[in-house]
Amino acid sequence: MIKADKTVRKETKYIGLWCGVLSIILQGVFIILNKWDYTVLLGNLLSFAVAVLNFYFMGLSVQKALAAGESDAPKIMKASQSLRNMAMFLICGAGVLLPYFNTVAVLVPIFFPRIAVAFRGFFKEEKEVTEVE
Amino acid sequence: MEIAIAIILGCCALGAGTAMIAGIGPGIGEGNAVAKACEAIGRQPECKGDVTSTMLMGCAITETTGLYALVIAILLLFVTPNMFVNILTSIVG
Repeated sequence: MIKADKTVRKETKYIGLWCGVLSIILQGVFIILNKWDYTVLLGNLLSFAVAVLNFYFMGLSVQKALAAGESDAPKIMKASQSLRNMAMFLICGAGVLLPYFNTVAVLVPIFFPRIAVAFRGFFKEEKEVTEVE
Repeated sequence: MEIAIAIILGCCALGAGTAMIAGIGPGIGEGNAVAKACEAIGRQPECKGDVTSTMLMGCAITETTGLYALVIAILLLFVTPNMFVNILTSIVG
């Protein structure tokens, strides 16, 4: 098993934190809409784990590809992306099919890492501005 | 009626398969990005941390297009067939 780099761990923590915050907001939205039940929580937990683990494994693949060098990097990344996509399809498919998980709560948190990256851009820009000042 | 249901299921499966074509793109894109990052790190090894961090975020963004396709495929395979069959049965009776 490959040991995760410091950068990968740091970024995964950041993504995990934001996914957690956004998951709490999603639960809040369901409560406000009066549609909350245990399936929403279970679906959200499943999808949260899938989203964070997908990012972590992507980080590990990037680390492995960087170590392998320029010629082998595209092959490693393509293989990793296909495997991760397949795993996500199976897990999310099971989440949609099984009655213990809410479909919306399973599908929405998959996009939380993208939102987290968007927020990161705002914060980084602000930091750079203060550094210049 | 059975033929109509079979056509609906077949079209949903075809749609899901077609949607997953979009899953090819992120893999190629990420591969190219990592190859260029290898080149950059080779030129300036002291920037490894920054390059890896920026690339990870870039890869996360790239992967979103594949995830859209994945979600569409999941919906077409597991959610919409039942919906369409219910609509059909309510119309035909």
